[in-house]
Amino acid sequence: MEKVQLVQQEALQKIEACTTMDELQQAKVTYLGKKGPVQELMTLMKDLSPEEKPAFGQEVNVCKQAIAKAIEDKQQILEVSAMASKLEKEKIDITLPGYEPVLGTLHPLSVISQEIEDLFVGMGYDVSEGPEVELDLYNFERANIPADHPARDMQDTFFINAEELLRTHTTAIQTRELEKAQGKMPIKVICPGKVYRRDDDDATHSHQFTQVEGLVVGEGITLADLKGTLKFMADRMFGEGREIRFRPSYFQFTEPSVEVDVTCHICGGKGCSVCKGTGWIEILGAGMVHPNVLEMAGFDSKKCSGFAFGAGIERIAMLKYGIDDIRNFYINDVRFLKTFNRFD
Amino acid sequence: MKVSINWLKEYISLDGVSANELANALTTAGLEIEGVEPVAKGTNLVIGEVLSCVPHPDSDHLNVCMVEYGEGPTQIVCGAPNCTSGIKVIVAKVGAELPAITIKAAKVRGQESNGMLCSLRELGVNEKYLTEAQINGIEILPNDAPVGNTEVLKYLGYDDVVLDASQTPNRADCMAMWSVAKEVGAVLRREAKLPSYEGASKIGNPTTLKIISKSEKCPHFLGKIVGKVIVKESPKWMQDYLHAAGIRAINNVVDISNYVMLETGQPLHFYDLAKMPHKEITVIDDVDMKLTALDGIEYEVQKGDLLITTGGKATGIAGIMGGDDSKIDETTTGIIIEAAHFNHVSIRNTAKRLGLMTEAASRYIKGLEPLAQNKAVDRAVQLLIEYADASELEETVEAGCVNYSPIQVTETLEHCNELLGTTFKMDEVTEVLKALDFNPVVNGTSFTCTIPSYRTDIFIREDIDEEIIRLIGFDSLNKTLPKMEATAGKLTHRQALRRETKQVFTGLGMREVITYTLVKEQYMNDAVLPFGQHIQLASPMSEDRKYIRNSMMPSMLECLAYNQARKADNVNLFEISNVYEKDKVQERVGILLSDSLQENRLQKVDIKSDFFTLKGIVMSWLAKLGFASERIVIKENTLDTIHFHPYRSAEVYLQNDLIGIIGEVHPTYAKAMDVAPCVYAELNFDLLVNAKGTKVRFVPLDRYPSVSRDIALVVTVDTTAQSILDIIKKVGKRLIQSTEVFDVYQGEHVEKGCKSIALNIVYQATDHTLTDDEVVPLHQEILSELESKLNAKLRG
Repeated sequence: MEKVQLVQQEALQKIEACTTMDELQQAKVTYLGKKGPVQELMTLMKDLSPEEKPAFGQEVNVCKQAIAKAIEDKQQILEVSAMASKLEKEKIDITLPGYEPVLGTLHPLSVISQEIEDLFVGMGYDVSEGPEVELDLYNFERANIPADHPARDMQDTFFINAEELLRTHTTAIQTRELEKAQGKMPIKVICPGKVYRRDDDDATHSHQFTQVEGLVVGEGITLADLKGTLKFMADRMFGEGREIRFRPSYFQFTEPSVEVDVTCHICGGKGCSVCKGTGWIEILGAGMVHPNVLEMAGFDSKKCSGFAFGAGIERIAMLKYGIDDIRNFYINDVRFLKTFNRFD
Repeated sequence: MKVSINWLKEYISLDGVSANELANALTTAGLEIEGVEPVAKGTNLVIGEVLSCVPHPDSDHLNVCMVEYGEGPTQIVCGAPNCTSGIKVIVAKVGAELPAITIKAAKVRGQESNGMLCSLRELGVNEKYLTEAQINGIEILPNDAPVGNTEVLKYLGYDDVVLDASQTPNRADCMAMWSVAKEVGAVLRREAKLPSYEGASKIGNPTTLKIISKSEKCPHFLGKIVGKVIVKESPKWMQDYLHAAGIRAINNVVDISNYVMLETGQPLHFYDLAKMPHKEITVIDDVDMKLTALDGIEYEVQKGDLLITTGGKATGIAGIMGGDDSKIDETTTGIIIEAAHFNHVSIRNTAKRLGLMTEAASRYIKGLEPLAQNKAVDRAVQLLIEYADASELEETVEAGCVNYSPIQVTETLEHCNELLGTTFKMDEVTEVLKALDFNPVVNGTSFTCTIPSYRTDIFIREDIDEEIIRLIGFDSLNKTLPKMEATAGKLTHRQALRRETKQVFTGLGMREVITYTLVKEQYMNDAVLPFGQHIQLASPMSEDRKYIRNSMMPSMLECLAYNQARKADNVNLFEISNVYEKDKVQERVGILLSDSLQENRLQKVDIKSDFFTLKGIVMSWLAKLGFASERIVIKENTLDTIHFHPYRSAEVYLQNDLIGIIGEVHPTYAKAMDVAPCVYAELNFDLLVNAKGTKVRFVPLDRYPSVSRDIALVVTVDTTAQSILDIIKKVGKRLIQSTEVFDVYQGEHVEKGCKSIALNIVYQATDHTLTDDEVVPLHQEILSELESKLNAKLRG
C-alpha cells in the first residue's frame, strides 16, 4: 500500500516538473506505459490474498487516475502557455498603417442636389429633369418672359437657332411639367439640372451652373404654404432652427415674387462676414405662379394656384462649405473633390 | 438709383426716421438699399478765418497760420498752396474725426499745429465733383461765411446721406425722385407732396420748329424752342442734388435737363438752337453711319438704331447720347428741348452694342411713365425761366401722341387672402392701397384700384396682392404646408439607376466630376461614338465654348491632364452627363482610370487601373443594374481605334445593342491630350435605362455536391479565353455550374507561339449527386472538343 503512495507521489512530482509537451509525453509513457510503475504495481496483485485484492486494485486505479488527471491538467497548462508564447512571437506593430481603400466622392453639386431631391421626395414630390437643349417656347414664352425681355437677348442666352437654345433656367422643366399635366392636379415636382447663361467665367459667375426649382399647383395653394415649405428646405440645407424671411422681388414667372433669406448658418443671425453683417443670407427666389403661366399651360387660374421656387446649387454649396470660387466646381481638381469625402 | 435724403425731404417729412431706418424699411418693402453713404463726413469742424499766414521757417511749402474760429487765435500749420491770410476756411479742430484721419495736436517741423485746414476731399466729398483747385488746395469759403459756425457740413450743403437703391426691373418708377418719394410715403405711411408744374410749358409764341418721327419706335416726341437762355453756373442746391445722384454739374442749362430727368424719370435732351439752323428734328432708324457723340467719341450706328437728325444730318443717338455738334456750351444762347418716348428694346440693343449705358438709356430701357414727357417739359420750362433767364419761348411741338388712360384693377378680399394664406380685413387692405395712392373703391368684398400713371408694373389682381403683402409685411405670413391629397414622391427609373451607378463607382474609389457641356471644335472631332450632326451655338462666347459636346472623353481627359500637371496620381474619375447631336440626346457614363484604382505599397495592394480592372468594373456595375455577364457581349473594337489602343480595347454589347467602348486610351491621343497612359470607357446610359434588367429572384440553394476540376490547356496565343469557355459551356450544358480562368502563362516550358490557360470547371447537377460515370466522360468530351476545335492540348 505504501508503495502505491510512493509511485503516485513520485509521478505527480515528475509531471509537475514537466515544462514541455515532450517531457510530459515522456512522463506519460514512463508512468502509464506497459512497463511503467503503475503497471508494475498491478503485478503485485497476484501475491495478495483474495480479500486484499479488491482494496489494492481500487487503490492502484485511484493512483492511475490521479496520474492521468495530472497529465491532462498539465497538458492544458502547457498548451495554454505554448499558445501564449506562439502568439507572442506573432506580435505585429499595430501602429503601421492599414490598407485604407480610397472611397470615392460624389461631386458636391450632386451631394446638394440629392439632399434637396430627397427632402422633397419625402414630402411627396416627383423629380423631373428635361432637356438642356430647349425650345424658346418652354424656356421663355411659357415662363411669361415676353419677346422683348432682356433675357431673350443674344447677349444673355446661348441660342442655337431661332427656336432652340441652351436652357437658361430650370423653369423650362416647370413649364414642360405644367403642359404635361394637362390641367390635372396636384402637381408637386422638384426640377434639378444644368443651365447656361452667356456670362464670363470668374469667381462668382459661370456660363454653366446648376439650379433646382420646385413647383406645386393645386387648389388653394398659398404664399404661406410656400413659406412653410421653404422653412423645411432651409433647415435641411443649413441645419435645424433656421429662420426664413421673404423680401419682395420680381420674376416674370411668379406674382407675387419674393427673395428668400435664411438666417446665417455661420453666425446664427448675429452678423458676420459671410452674411455681410446682416445676419441673413439670400438663397432662393420664389413666388406664386403667375396666372399667365397657369393659363398658357391650360390651367384655369381662377380655380387653382401654385407656388414655385428656385435656388442655385453652386450658391448653396459655396455657402455651406465655404467655397470662394465657383470655377472650382468645373475644374475638378482632385484636391477639391477629396474635400467632400464624408457624411455631412 | 442714388437717392439723396435731403432731396426726399423736399417732398416728405422724414422726422424721426434715420437714414438707416429708412433704408431698412425700403429694403423690407422691396426697394433694396445696397448702401447708405453720407456725402461728407467730419466731426469737430468749424468755420474759421485765417488771420495770418507766414511761411514755415523750416519748409519751402508749409505755412504757419493763425486762425480764428471763436476761441481765440489758434496756430495751425497748413501745406495748401492756396492758403493765404484773410480767407474763410473749414477748420478741423483737435480731436476731429475725418474719413481718413483723426486730428491731433502736433509739432510740424518744430512749429505747433492745433488742427487742420480742410479741403472738401478730406471731408470725403467725391473727387469727381471737385475742381482741380479744390482737390489740390483747401476749400476757400465765401467771404460772408459765419466764423465760429460748427454746422459746417450743413453750411456746405453736405449734410446729406445718399441711399444706393437697387430696384427690381419692373419698378421703373424708382428711377424718378418724385416716384421714389411716393414709394417712401407708402412705406412710411406718410404723405408725399409732389409739386405740380402742369401747364408751365403752355406758354409760347408761334413756332417754325418741325418734329417728324419716321420710326414706330419713337411714338411720341415733344419739342420746344426756348429762344433765349443765359448759360451760367446752376444754383448750389441743384449741383448738390446732381452730385448726390452721381451726375456731374456742368452748367445751369445742362444741369436742368439732368435734374428734370432725375425728378421725373424722363430723359431730356437740349440742343443748341444756333447749331440747329433747320429748326427741324427727324427721328429715323434706317442708316449705317458714324457719329461723334458729345463725349467726343465716334460711334458706329447701324440700321435699327434710333437716330436724331436735323437737316438730313445725324445729331444724336436717340435716347442715349446727343451729338457733339449740337451740344450746349458756354456760347449757347437758345435751345431746343427734346422730351421723347423711344422704344426700350431698341435703346437697349443700341446702348449695349455701343457700350453706352447712360443715365438716359437706362431709364428708357426700364420703361417710362406714359405722362412723363409732358411733366418733364413743364418742369424744364419752369426751371429754365427761373434759373436760366429763359425767354422767347415758342409753343411746344408734338409728334405722335400719348395713349394713356389709367389702369383699373379689381380684386376681392377673399381671393387676396386665399392667394396669400392670410386673414386680412378690408380696412387693413384699403389702408395700404390708400398709402399707395391707388384710390381703392370698395364694393362689398371687392375693391377696385385706379393705378397712378407712374406705377407701370401693376396690371392684374395678383399685382395688387403683392403690394398688399409687401407693405403689410411678409412677417405677417404664417408657415403652413399645402393642404392636398397625399402623393407618393419618387425617383424615376433613370434617376434611381443613376444613383445606383454613382454609389457603385464611388464605393470602388472613383470620384465624380462635372465638366463643361460647351467645348471647342477639336473636342467634337475627338468624340467617342458620335451619333449625328454637331450642334453649334449661334452666339458662342469663345472658340473654346462653341459646340454642345457629343462625347465626354475629351473633357475628361482634359480634367486628368489638369490633375496630372499638378502631380496628382491614381486619378480615377467618372461622369454621368447628357451629350448632344442635332435633334438627339444621349445620357452617357464616362469612366477614366489612371495609375492604380487602389494602392498600398506597405500592404502590397495594387489594383492597377488597366483594361481588366476597367472591364471588371463595367461588368460588375452592369450586373448590379440587372445585366449579368451572360447578357453582355465583348467584341474586338473596330469602331474607334483612333482614340483607343487597337489591341487593348473592346466594344461592349447588351445582347445586340452597343453600349459603348472600353479600353486603353491610344498612346498617340493620350500624348496629344497631355495625359499619362490611362483607360477610358464611354457607355450609353439610355440603353441601360430602357432595357429590362433581370429581376432579383431566389433560386434554391445547391443541395447536391459539386465536382471541381482544374485543367491547363496549351493553345496558340491568339486563341481567346472566351472561345474556350464557350466550348465548355456548349458541351457541358447545364452540368457546368461555373468556370474560372485563373492563370494565363506564356514563356519557358510552353511552346513558342502558344500560351497556357489554366481553368477551373465546377460540375454540378441541381437534382442529384453527380457520379464519376457522369463527370468523367463529360469532362473527357469537353477536352476532346477543345482539342478538335481549338487544337487545345492538356499541359503535361
